[in-house]
Amino acid sequence: MKKQLLDNASDTSLDRVDGAVKVTGTATYSAEYLVPGLVHAVLVTSTIAKGSITAIESREAEAVPGVLAVISHLNAITVPGWPERKQPAERVPVGTALRVFYDPLIYFDGQPVAMVVAGTREQAVHAASLVRVTYQQETHQTHFEKNIGKAGVALNVQRSKNSPFQDYQRGEAAKSENTEVRIEAEYTIPTQHHQPLEPHAIIAVWEADDKLTVYDKNQGVKSAQGQLAQAFKLPRENVQVISKYIGGAFGSGIRVWPHTMAAVMAAKQLKRPVKLVLGREQMFTSVGYRPYTVQKINIGATKDGRLIGIVHEGTGQTSMYEEHLERTVLASRTLYACPHVATRYRLLPLDVNTPTWMRGPGDATGMFALESAMDELAFALKMDPLEFRLKNYAESDPERNLPWSAKSLRECYELGAEKFRWNNRMQAPRSVTQNGLLMGYGMASSLYGFHRHPSKVRAVIQADGSVIVQSATMDIGPGTGTAMTRIAAKVLGVNAKKIRFELGHSALPDAPGQNGSATIPSVGSAVHVACEALKTRLVALAREMSERFKSGGQVVVRNGQVYGSVDDKDGVSYADILKYHHLNELEVTEESKSGAERDQYSMYSFGCHFVEVLVSPLTGEVRVTRVVTCADVGAIINYKTARSQSIGGVVGGIGMALMEHSEMDHRFGRYVTTDFAGYHIPVHADIPPIEVYYIDKPDVHVNPIGSKGLGEIAIVGVAAAIANAVFHATGKRVRELPITPDKLV
Amino acid sequence: MDIDHDATPPDAENEARRFFLKQSMFIAGLSMAPADLLQAALAPEDGPVGNAAKVKISLTVNGKRRRISIDPRMTLLGLLRENLGLTGTKKGCDFGQCGACTVHVDGRRTLSCLTFAAMQHGSKITTIEGLSSGDNLHPLQEAFIKHDGFQCGYCTPGQVMSGVACIREGCAGSAEEVREYMSGNLCRCGAYPNIVDAILEVKMEGLKV
Amino acid sequence: MKPFQYLRPKTIAEAISMAADDPEARYIAGGTNLVDLMKRGIASPTKLIDINHLPLKKIEHRYDRLRIGALALNSEVAKHKAVVTRQPLLAQALLAGASGQLRNMATVGGNLLQRTRCSYFYDLALPCNKRKPGSGCGAEGGINRTHAIFFAGNGFGGIEKSSCLAVHPSDMCVALTAVDTVVVVNGPDGERRIQMKDFLRLSTQQPELDTNLGPGELVTAIEVLDNAFAKHSHYLKVRDRASYAFALVSVAVALQMDGGRIWDARLALGGVAHKPWRYWAIDLMLRGKAPSEQLFREVAEHEMESAKALEGNAYKIKLTSNAMVAALKTAAGIS
Repeated sequence: MKKQLLDNASDTSLDRVDGAVKVTGTATYSAEYLVPGLVHAVLVTSTIAKGSITAIESREAEAVPGVLAVISHLNAITVPGWPERKQPAERVPVGTALRVFYDPLIYFDGQPVAMVVAGTREQAVHAASLVRVTYQQETHQTHFEKNIGKAGVALNVQRSKNSPFQDYQRGEAAKSENTEVRIEAEYTIPTQHHQPLEPHAIIAVWEADDKLTVYDKNQGVKSAQGQLAQAFKLPRENVQVISKYIGGAFGSGIRVWPHTMAAVMAAKQLKRPVKLVLGREQMFTSVGYRPYTVQKINIGATKDGRLIGIVHEGTGQTSMYEEHLERTVLASRTLYACPHVATRYRLLPLDVNTPTWMRGPGDATGMFALESAMDELAFALKMDPLEFRLKNYAESDPERNLPWSAKSLRECYELGAEKFRWNNRMQAPRSVTQNGLLMGYGMASSLYGFHRHPSKVRAVIQADGSVIVQSATMDIGPGTGTAMTRIAAKVLGVNAKKIRFELGHSALPDAPGQNGSATIPSVGSAVHVACEALKTRLVALAREMSERFKSGGQVVVRNGQVYGSVDDKDGVSYADILKYHHLNELEVTEESKSGAERDQYSMYSFGCHFVEVLVSPLTGEVRVTRVVTCADVGAIINYKTARSQSIGGVVGGIGMALMEHSEMDHRFGRYVTTDFAGYHIPVHADIPPIEVYYIDKPDVHVNPIGSKGLGEIAIVGVAAAIANAVFHATGKRVRELPITPDKLV
Repeated sequence: MDIDHDATPPDAENEARRFFLKQSMFIAGLSMAPADLLQAALAPEDGPVGNAAKVKISLTVNGKRRRISIDPRMTLLGLLRENLGLTGTKKGCDFGQCGACTVHVDGRRTLSCLTFAAMQHGSKITTIEGLSSGDNLHPLQEAFIKHDGFQCGYCTPGQVMSGVACIREGCAGSAEEVREYMSGNLCRCGAYPNIVDAILEVKMEGLKV
Repeated sequence: MKPFQYLRPKTIAEAISMAADDPEARYIAGGTNLVDLMKRGIASPTKLIDINHLPLKKIEHRYDRLRIGALALNSEVAKHKAVVTRQPLLAQALLAGASGQLRNMATVGGNLLQRTRCSYFYDLALPCNKRKPGSGCGAEGGINRTHAIFFAGNGFGGIEKSSCLAVHPSDMCVALTAVDTVVVVNGPDGERRIQMKDFLRLSTQQPELDTNLGPGELVTAIEVLDNAFAKHSHYLKVRDRASYAFALVSVAVALQMDGGRIWDARLALGGVAHKPWRYWAIDLMLRGKAPSEQLFREVAEHEMESAKALEGNAYKIKLTSNAMVAALKTAAGIS
C-alpha cells in the first residue's frame, strides 16, 4: 500500500495543465463554440409567484426583424419523455422536476414562460421585452417565518425508513435540558446563490432528427446525457454533452435545469442550433441556491466542559414541486463525543424554485449553527473554544460506532493553533483593540463525508511514449486535469508534459459528475488503477524483450522507461517497448470503486479554521484580517491546486458570513437582489492573506490513492469561525447571517 | 482579404450563410487584411455613419484595423465575442458589476459590456488575445500560472487585463493597494490572494508590462 | 433594447441642436449608467448623442476655482494635481466609488446624472414612482434596508410627502455638496450656472426627475470654489463589503481649523436621501470650538433628530450618527 502513495511535496506541484489556455483566453466555454447557423435565444420569465398564464401576446415580438419564433407552452414541441399534457392543467405531484413550456401553471417568480429566438442576441433581447404575458394570479407563500408552521418531514423521508434524514436519537432525548451549562439558540441562514462568474449557457445542436449535441455548462456530462436521452427517448449514445471548460458552478450545474431543456426544445422545433445564455438576473431563479434555513440548537455540558447533550433541529426551504434535502443537522451526530444527541430535519415548501446543493451543502449551513453554539457554550463555560473542542474529541464515530478510516483533526487543531498563534487570545470578548478597531479571534471545526463513486478511466500510451488518459469527469475549477495528470505521471513514471488528460465529454469512459468532493477519490483512484494496469502491461512487454526485467518485484519505472531495478542504469523506453512489439499504441480501460471498507470504517474529511477580524466600533464594518485553515483530507495530490481550493473555500465562507443574502420582497414573491450590486460576493479588498496547511497523511482505507477530496470541506465551518471572531471582537453574537454593519452598529 | 463585417442580418435566414463566411474568415485569420486598403475605406475622423438599423464603424482591435457594420445596440463586448470571435473577453454579468469583460481602450482598462461598439469608432482596443504576441506569454500571464491565480479561468482574462492596467497606472505598490484597485474584478472561485501575489511579483520585479 | 439612432456631434452647438425638440434623445458619455439602464429597458432613447468627442475634458484652476470639464474621467480627476492638492475631499470621494475600470469610463457630468440604484427602479416588474410615475413606491413597505432616512428639506415634511424613498448613489456628489460647487450647463436657451445644492432634487414632487436640468440641456463643467479645507477633510464610506459597493452611508467632512479650533465646517451625507444631504447647521454648531468626540457626538445626534427610519433601515439612524462622528474625528485629526 505504502508504495502506491504519492509524493506530495509542495515544490513538486504541477502548474495547472490548462493554465496557458486560461490566461490567454483561448479556453472554450459553453457559449463560445463556433457552430454554423447559430441563432440566439432569450428567456421571458414569470413576474408572479403562483397562478397560471391566461394569455401570451407575442405578435409585436414576432414582428421584430430577425425573430424566428416565440416559444411557450402554447406552441412548444412535445417532449417524448414527458407525460401527455392534461386539460385542464394540474399541479404536479411533489417530486416532479419543472417541465418548461409544458402547461400554463406558474410555480415561482422567474419561471421561464416563453423564449424568443432570433438571428442576433440584440434582436432577441428586444423582442423578449415586447412579449406580454397575462396571468390569473393566486395567493403565493414565500415568507419562511410566516409559514414555518407548515414545515414537515419530507415525503421522501416518510417513504424511506433508511433515509439519513429520519429523526435521530441516541441516549436520552432531552438530556441537554438538564445539564449544568446550557445554550439554546436559533440560527438563520438566508438564501444564498452560487453565482459562478460564467452564467449558465448552452448551445443545442440537433445533428439529425435523433442525434443531439449540446455544449452545456454542467457538472456531469454523463448524467446530463442520461437525462436528455431519457427526455427525448433517444439511445444514450445519440446524445453528446460537451462541457470541457466550466466557468465555476459550486453546485449550480449538478442538474439539467429547465433552461437547458428549453434550448434543446427550441433547436428541435426550429431545426437550428440555438444558443441560450442566462442573464445574471435569471441566475437567481434558474439554477438553484443554498436554501433559507432556520436551525435550533440546544446544547449542554458539565461545568468542566464535557458535552452531555445536543438537540439540533433544522428546517430548510424547498419548492412546491420538489423536495431538496441536505445534511444540515447531520454533523451534530458525528463531530463530537456526546452521549445524548437528537436531530430533526424538516422541509418548508414555498412558492419558490427548487434549491440545490451549494458548496459544502448542508454542512456549511449546519456547521454554522453547531460551531456557533459550541462557541457560545465555551464562553458560558469560561473555556477556551479550542480546549472545549479537544475535550470532546470523538475518537471513533459516535453515530455509527465505527472506527474512523483516518482522523487527524487533533493535529489540525494543533497545527492551526500554532500557526495562528491562538494562544495569544484573550478569553474575554471586546478586550483587544488595534488602531481604534475591535479585534477578535474565532475558530471552528469542519467535516465533510467521504464520497466515492464507480469510475472508469482509459489510459493509452502512444508510439512516441506520450500518454492520453480519458474519463468523462469534469473540471469546474479545482484543476481535475492537473491532479489526474500528476497521478498518472507518478504511476507511469512519465513526465507530466507527456501526458494529456481528457475530460468533459460524454463519449469518454463513465465517471461521476463533479460534486461532493468525489472527483479525486473516485476518478483519481480510477486513473491510478488504469495507469497501474498500463504499467503492468508495459513491464510484461519489456520482460519479453530482455532477461533484465524479469527480476520479480525489482522492476521500476521512471522517466518513461522500465528499469530492472532501482540501481539499474539502462532502461528501455516505453516508446521502444511499443516499437519492439510493433504496437502503435497500448490501451487499457479500468474501473475503480468502493468495496467492503465502507461498512468497516466511518469516512470523513476533517479540518478547522482560525480567523482574525477587525470590527469598527462606530460603523460595524467587519474585515477579516487573517485566516489559517487546516485540513485533514488524506493525501494531497497536487499541493498548488489544492491550496487554491482551500483558499477558495475560505473566500466563499467569508462571503457567506459577511455579505451574501438573496432578499425577496414577499409581497411579490420576487427577489430584489438580482445582480452583483444587490447580491454581494467578496471582492479583492475583502480577502486577507490566507494560510493553508494540510496534515497530508494518506487515509489507507478509503481508496488506492489515500485521498479524500477537498472542495466542499474548504468552506464548511468558515462562517462560524467568522461569527465567533466577531463575537470575540464585539461581545455581540450574530445568529443570522450575513453579519452586515446594520447588525453590529 | 476584406474584413468588412455585417453584424446585423436583415433577417435571420441569411445568418447561416453569413456565419459560414465569418467562420471561414476567423480560420483564415482576420488579421491579414492590408491595413492601408482599410484605412482608405473609412477613417475614424469621418465619424460613424448609419441609421437605427445599422452603423458603420472602424476601430483597431489588437493592432488590426477593422471596418464593421453593426447594430448600434451592440456593445463592444458583443462585437468582440459574437462578431470577431474574440471570446477571451468574457461576459460575466453584462451590467458592469464583475469585470470579466475588461479590455483596454486607448490604453485604459474599460468594461466592454457597458460601452456601445459604435462609441468605440476610432478607438484602439486590446483584448486578452492581443496582450502577448506569438507563443510568448505576457509576464503577468506567466505569473498567474506560477501563482495559480485562477481556478475555473472565467474571470481570468479580465483579471489579467485589469492587473496589467493596475501596474501601468502605478496602483500596484502594495498588497493593500492591489486589492483595492483590483476590486472591480470579481472571482467566485476565490483566487484573490494568488492574483495579488502574481501582480505584486510582476510589479516588484520591474518587468515591462 | 429598443433600436436607436447613434449620433456623434463634433461641437457642443451641434450636440444641443441634435437634442433640441426631441424628448426621446439622450446624451451619452461614459455610458456606465445609461447603457445599463438601456439594457434593462429603463431608458429607451430613440436617439443617442455621443458627446465623448466634444472638447469638455479640461481640468484647470482659474482665478478662484477649479474648473472640471464634464467629460473629464473620474480617474483623471481623482489623480489630477490641482484636485489632489486643492480639493482632496473630491479625490477621496471619487476613489471611494465604483472600480478602476468604471472610473476610467465614467465622466464628471455622468456621475452628476447617475440614477438611483434602488432595486425597484431597476425591475420593470415592480412598482416605482421614479421609473413609472404613479405606479407606487416599491420600497415603501418593501425591502428598504438601503433606503432614505431624510426626506423633505430641513426636516420639514417627511416620508408621507416623499413619493420615492430611493437614495442618490454618487460619492462624488456628496463631496461636491459639502463644498461650494457650481454646475455649468448649456442648452437651447444658452448657458446656465446652477448651484450644486439646487442641481439635484428631493423626491417631494416628480420623483422621475433627479435633477433640475432643462430639456436638451447638457452639463459642460463643474466649478469647485477655492476653500481652506484641504488639510482637514475626509470622505468616509460605509458599505456592505470593503470595496466596489454603493454606500450604506457616507460622510463628506471639510473643516477649516486654526489654533486647535474649528473656524468653518461643512458636512454632507450620502446614502440617506434622494440627493446628498447637506448638514447646513454644522458650521454654526462647530465654529470657534475645539474638536472633541463629545462635541461631534452632540452635533451628529442633533442632525439625526430630523431623520426618520423606514421598516428596514432603523440601523441607519445610529450608523449615520456614528459615521459622522468617525469622519469628523478623522478630519479634525483627533483619535
